[in-house]
Order: sequence, then C-alpha cells, then structure tokens
Amino acid sequence: MPFVAVGRKVAVMGYSVGAREGYHGMSEPADRKILLQARGVVKRYKRRRVLTGVDLVVHAGEVAAIVGSNGAGKSTLLKICAGLLSPDKGRVTVSGHLGYCPQNAGVMGFLTPREHFTLFGTGRGLSRRESDRRGRKLAGELDWAPAEGVLAKDLSGGTRQKLNVVLSALGDPDLLLLDEPYQGFDHGSYVDFWRSVWEWREAGKAVVVVTHMLNQLDRVDQVLDLTPGKGRGNR
Amino acid sequence: MTATLRMAEMTFRELLRRRGVLGLLLLVPLVFYLGRYDQTGQAIRFASLGVGFAVSAAALFSAVGGREIEPLLALSGFRPLQLFLGRLLALLTAGMGVSALYAVIILVGQDVAHPQAVAVELALTTLVAVPLGLLLGAAVPRDMEGALLLISVIGAQMVMDPAKDSAKVLPFWSTREIITYAVDGADSGSFDSGVAHAVGATLLLVAVSGCVTAGRLRRRRHLQFA
Repeated sequence: MPFVAVGRKVAVMGYSVGAREGYHGMSEPADRKILLQARGVVKRYKRRRVLTGVDLVVHAGEVAAIVGSNGAGKSTLLKICAGLLSPDKGRVTVSGHLGYCPQNAGVMGFLTPREHFTLFGTGRGLSRRESDRRGRKLAGELDWAPAEGVLAKDLSGGTRQKLNVVLSALGDPDLLLLDEPYQGFDHGSYVDFWRSVWEWREAGKAVVVVTHMLNQLDRVDQVLDLTPGKGRGNR
Repeated sequence: MTATLRMAEMTFRELLRRRGVLGLLLLVPLVFYLGRYDQTGQAIRFASLGVGFAVSAAALFSAVGGREIEPLLALSGFRPLQLFLGRLLALLTAGMGVSALYAVIILVGQDVAHPQAVAVELALTTLVAVPLGLLLGAAVPRDMEGALLLISVIGAQMVMDPAKDSAKVLPFWSTREIITYAVDGADSGSFDSGVAHAVGATLLLVAVSGCVTAGRLRRRRHLQFA
C-alpha cells in the first residue's frame, strides 16, 4: 500500500499538491484530549460477526483512517461511533460536538443546498445568515459554489456528497466522522477535501475517515484496518 | 421553538415542491366526490375520506422520506420532539389548505343543513389524517407497505357500518358522524360525539407516532458524551 502511517507518527508523503506544510506546534497526540474512544465494539448481522472487539482512540488534532475490504464493517463502526446504530457490545465516548457525513447522500432532494445550510445550522443554534455564510465558506473550500435555486436532487453525485461534507462540518464540530466522503469527487475536489481535513486537524479537531484504500495523497495519523484476517486495532 | 418552526418551514417547502405527487393526491378526493355527486351525504363522505387518504398519504411519504435525514438533524442538535412537531406542523398547515379547498368545492356544489359542520368535519379529518400518516410512516419499513395499510384503513372505513361499536376503533369514524349531522340535521347524527372522537383519535395518534419517532431517534445507550 502506498500510504505510510506508522503508529502515531505522520509520514509526509511525496504528494503533488501544494499542502506540504508540516504540523507546526502540535504536541504528541497522547498529550492531547481524547475526542473519540471506542472500546470493545462487537456487532453481528444475524450470524455474521462483522466487528469483533474493535478499539479506536482518536485524540484532538489527529486524523484516523478506517480501511478494509467490502463488508468489513467500516461504515458500521462509524455509525456506532455516531450513535446511529447500537453495537452488540462495547462503548463509545465522545468529547464535544460530533459531525457525521454519511456514505450515501442523506439530504432532502427538494431543498436547495442553502436551505440545507439553514436547516442544519438551526440545529447548532446558528442564525440563517450565519449558517449560510459558513455553508458557502465550507463549500468554497471544496471548490463548490452552490447555485441559487438548484435542488439537491438535481446536483451531481459528487456535488451532493460535497453538500454532505459541508453539512457535517457546518456546526464546527470537534469530532468529524466521514464515511467515504469523497465518492464521486473529481481529482481537484479530492485534493481540496484532504486539504480541508488537514486544516481541521491543525485546528485541533479529530477526524475519522472511512475509505476503501488510502493512497499517497492521504496523510493520516493512524490506520485501523478492519479487513478480516488482518487483526484488529491500530497498525 | 425556532428549531421546530425551521423544521416545519423546510418540510413545508419540500412538500410544496413535490407538485406531481401533490397533484395526484389532490385528485383522489375529487374523483371520489364526483363519483357520488348526485347523493349529497355520500358525495361529502367520499370526498372527506378522499381528503383523509390524500393527507395521510402525504404524511406517510414525508415521514418515510425523512428517515435518512432526521438522524443527521438529531446529530446536528435537533431534539426528536422538535423534528416530529416541525413535520406535524408543516403537514397540518398543508392539510388544512386541502380541507379548506374541498370545503369550498362541497359547499358550492351541495345543499346541506349545517354548512359550518362540513368545514369543521373536513378540518377534523385532516387533524386525524396527519398523525395517522406519520404513525404509518414511522412503523413500516417502506412507503409501499404504508400505502397498502392506509388503503386498508380507508377501505374498512367505507364499508363498515358506523352504527356498530366496533366501527369506533377506526380513525375516521367521526367523519361520517358529523356529515350525517351536517346533511340531515341534529336528529340524525351527533356533532359533539364526532368532534370528541376526532380529538381523541388525534391525541392518541400524535402520542403514539411521537413516541415511535422519539424511540427511533433516541440516543443509543452505548454512546456517552464526556
């Protein structure tokens, strides 16, 4: 695999994007606050055991990737961490606000992106104006300018996924759980996405990204591989 | 309160933009009404049950359609009760518009003893229909199953003898009771018992559908916030 993520040391790769900045001034993760702690998570679907005592600890200012083959339980683990699904065993502790981006677009097809900003912003106690401002700023960071009057159902798959990413980050959460967030992104948007992830990391947020595979553009602090037979826990 | 109203606003906007489905749903009571146009009592009863079906179906589709986004809204800070009340409010507003439209259509085309009672009956039918649709939407896995259940309820309402005690367990029993009063006068039906039944059915359906929604959106026990 071309990525490098050893223990808790970040390996800066030979990526070609313009975000080579190091992580200045960051203390070792172990010294920082734990924002997500999942312990002994077990989940079965009927007789099939998907998660067998999985542990995941993510500190502030840390990016974790959950990888694994199809059906390995990546999305299941993330949903359990978000509280959207109950495990058969195990506990999850979250510190601060949580943002979750689903794998498939969980949006209201007949609302515009800006109406989504307003709605999700209201949940975080933001005014209509502030929600719109933050939403457009986050969209801009993903190289997307939401057009006036276009409904979510008429957006392309990649743009709808950008909407999901924006909505998950709208309330400035401390912990971001992103389930294959860049499906349908073009290369430029993919690069922009990882740049945003690194900025969130720099700002002291914890980010967990579910992905099929990591490549040389993805720079993460730890990897949890859920592929059967590869063992469990951080590599 | 802001969160509830915002949820209501966005649900209402989304509902109004589904013009194709809304148009077809609005057509149902009209078809029912015109089919029995020459028999005043029957025409009003069929139109009313058509309104009940259309509004319940809209609520059902809205509830099923909101299943993906409601957990995300709950994560973003909405309380389950705010989401439920917001959707309820939006659907009631839209439903009351439909019932007002059909009150005008009926009162222009039919001669009844108590016209106001027809308007009240249609409003009460909407009041019952919205939480009925929300309950079906919360309880069934897909909207197809919900639609089939709703057709069964409306069908039973049409064929069951309202004089039987067992008929009172049906949600729209009040509809026929008040229509009989409105068309034939006070000796043939009871306005008060019809209103009481509609209010009781509404409260029960709101409570049950609210509890089902809250249960679905509850915070899971394994998750703790430090």
